[in-house]
Amino acid sequence: MSRAAQRSGATPSKRLAEDGDICPVCKSSRYLNPNMRFLVNPECYHKMCESCVDRIFSHGPAPCPIAGCRRTLRKAKFRKQTFEDIQVEREVDIRRRMAKTFNRREDDFVSLLDYNDYLEKVENFTWNLINGVDIEETEKTIAAYAEENRREISRNESVAAQEAQSRKARAAEELELIRLRREDARREDELERREKADMRRGIINKLATTDGDAASIAREGQRVVLKKSLARRAAIDKQRDNDPFAASTENGEASSGLIFKGLKKWVPPAPEKPYDPFGGWSVENEYFVLQDHYDWDWLSQAQTDIRHTAGGYDVNDYCARALCEAFSGFGVFIEDEVAGRNVGSAPSIATAAAAVTGSEKPDVNMDDIF
Amino acid sequence: MALSPADAPKSAAASAKAIPVKAKALTILNSSNGSAPSSAPTPSNDGPQDLSEQLNAQIRQKYVQGGRLGEGTYAVVYSGHLVSDHSSLVAIKKIKVNAEYKDGLAMDAVREVKHLQELSHPNIIKLHAVFSTRDQNLNLVLEHLPLGDLETLWKNKDVSYGPADIKAWTGMLARAVWFCHENYVLHRDIKGNNLLIAADGEVKLADFGLARSFADPYRNMTCNVITRFYRPPELLYGAKHYGGAVDVWSMGVVIAELAIREFFLPSETDLEQLDRIAEVFGSPTEEVWPGVSKLEYYVAPSKEHIKRPLPLAWWKQKFGMLGDDGIDMLRSMCTLDPRKRATARQVLEHPYWQAAPKPTPKQNLPRNAGGPKKMADDLKRRGGEIEEGRADKVARKLDFSTMKK
Repeated sequence: MSRAAQRSGATPSKRLAEDGDICPVCKSSRYLNPNMRFLVNPECYHKMCESCVDRIFSHGPAPCPIAGCRRTLRKAKFRKQTFEDIQVEREVDIRRRMAKTFNRREDDFVSLLDYNDYLEKVENFTWNLINGVDIEETEKTIAAYAEENRREISRNESVAAQEAQSRKARAAEELELIRLRREDARREDELERREKADMRRGIINKLATTDGDAASIAREGQRVVLKKSLARRAAIDKQRDNDPFAASTENGEASSGLIFKGLKKWVPPAPEKPYDPFGGWSVENEYFVLQDHYDWDWLSQAQTDIRHTAGGYDVNDYCARALCEAFSGFGVFIEDEVAGRNVGSAPSIATAAAAVTGSEKPDVNMDDIF
Repeated sequence: MALSPADAPKSAAASAKAIPVKAKALTILNSSNGSAPSSAPTPSNDGPQDLSEQLNAQIRQKYVQGGRLGEGTYAVVYSGHLVSDHSSLVAIKKIKVNAEYKDGLAMDAVREVKHLQELSHPNIIKLHAVFSTRDQNLNLVLEHLPLGDLETLWKNKDVSYGPADIKAWTGMLARAVWFCHENYVLHRDIKGNNLLIAADGEVKLADFGLARSFADPYRNMTCNVITRFYRPPELLYGAKHYGGAVDVWSMGVVIAELAIREFFLPSETDLEQLDRIAEVFGSPTEEVWPGVSKLEYYVAPSKEHIKRPLPLAWWKQKFGMLGDDGIDMLRSMCTLDPRKRATARQVLEHPYWQAAPKPTPKQNLPRNAGGPKKMADDLKRRGGEIEEGRADKVARKLDFSTMKK
């Protein structure tokens, strides 16, 4: 019946203790208490039964009751053991903790090589912790790293959470879809069965009421049913084609890949630049300063003429334009421009040629063309 | 000489003979902004091409003309691309020979070329080159802007957009107008369907067929410009001297249309237009606009017919999309008195641009499927036309008789 009974040779109590069926603290065994549950605390991984945990740690933190272990344990940290081997349990815990801190992803790195280096480093730390090598130093490094990279860690955490959520949502969606499909199929079967029954009844009725050829009537009925079911199937197919939801699940792999990609491609937002209404352009006069007022009779008459001002004409615009045009040749070096343009555009040749011929024989008629 | 005449292809030689004068003019256009006085050797009748003809042929051969995108009364628009690079698309606008201007180039074309070649800004359509062809046509090689225009955008109910998108578009529009004014160019036909959208979402001001530079004092300008819906009151009153404020008014109306997704001040006649303006902004009187009574066509409203401007609450209710700052800016752009109207620079300095929400980045802006067809429709139009308007809605045929008075 019990495992202890099957194994003869060793003393039963020893066997029971090794199997973990006797609490090392209160020595009560499963034999006496079939509902006994064992708990461990990731602080020292010493196993004890639930009632011992309640008894010892209910009133706050207390030292581990196992002889030689003086670690202070808290009740909240006790949990059920997942793996039978306590070493594995511990390693998994350590790895889980490391993964929480070192949660960088491959696309955080420029190249795969960098990412692999990073993974190797993390693995070294993990190894140290598992095997008790330089524990203090390693812990210190990890704590420092966690402190330094708090923001990145929490960001990656939230990304991972989001991913998990969308994965869950997708899975639920798929399940729902499967359910719907199954229901559809069931309903269709039902309908078909009912139609078949109807048809049979119809044929019998027909046979009873009319006096035609029995075989031909039966054949007729058969054809009607076939037609109906074909039409129904076509309608379903059509609906499926039109249903965008169905289409998206059809190539679920591709669309999920896209979502994944979007999440992965988290680029830190560029520092928000204030909107420049001028679009980075500015127009400034290099060669002259515009005065507010020019003392010139011809101008001042226009300035005061109501027909000029009422229409919104501004003499200053004229002055600015006149000055701009007067100075617009400044800072323009034709040699440079010609040299720059000659690189292969046709108008450049025009400029050069026009300049050459222009110096020889100015064409007065051309100046006034506009 | 930089070139030996022997290089020139024969077809161009044949075509160029017919249009020596025009070709010469084009030489200037394609050279350094027309600043260098050009002279070509006098063309002998059966001799080799003169220099300007060669240059014209050279430019012509750089582009491949593709399919026709559309045709209007004023121009035909073709798609095209560079011979050397098939992916660099252009629109080739072929100006039709106009019976009215037998002796030279059509005024619109001259204006367009003259100003576009000077202005180089991301929000202004780029003029790549100009050349002439056999049938005495002037061809403008323009930037390829395939995504329709702002007017079709707000008319297209399938496209939804929000305050941030409006801010992005108006920002680009305001920059274009500001740049024109900084360079002393009046556009004089700003409206939704002259604002084309490039493939990357950038809005570009096009159609400089009515543009001119700021005038000298005492020099009359025509008041018969700008499509009516967008025409400011001083032009409706016949002002002969005006400045950048006329463009700012049009810009304000375009922004308003974007926000309400309908025409802001639609009308059938000029008088009705003035009524519409008075309904919204109040009747122009000497109090709100000193000197308005001196304008040529001004008729003082009788005492009982003086309208009050609509209250701020009306603006807030109608232009919720713009926010309080946007409404303030819009009202400053559409002030009756052109002297009190914001300048293009002041518009860009308005707190509206810094207020939330931030303008949408251009790549995220909603777009409609206008396609190259729409671009052609916009480019072939003559300045001052309303798209679906009948002939009586045509705002302008350049009328120089007014200038003789």
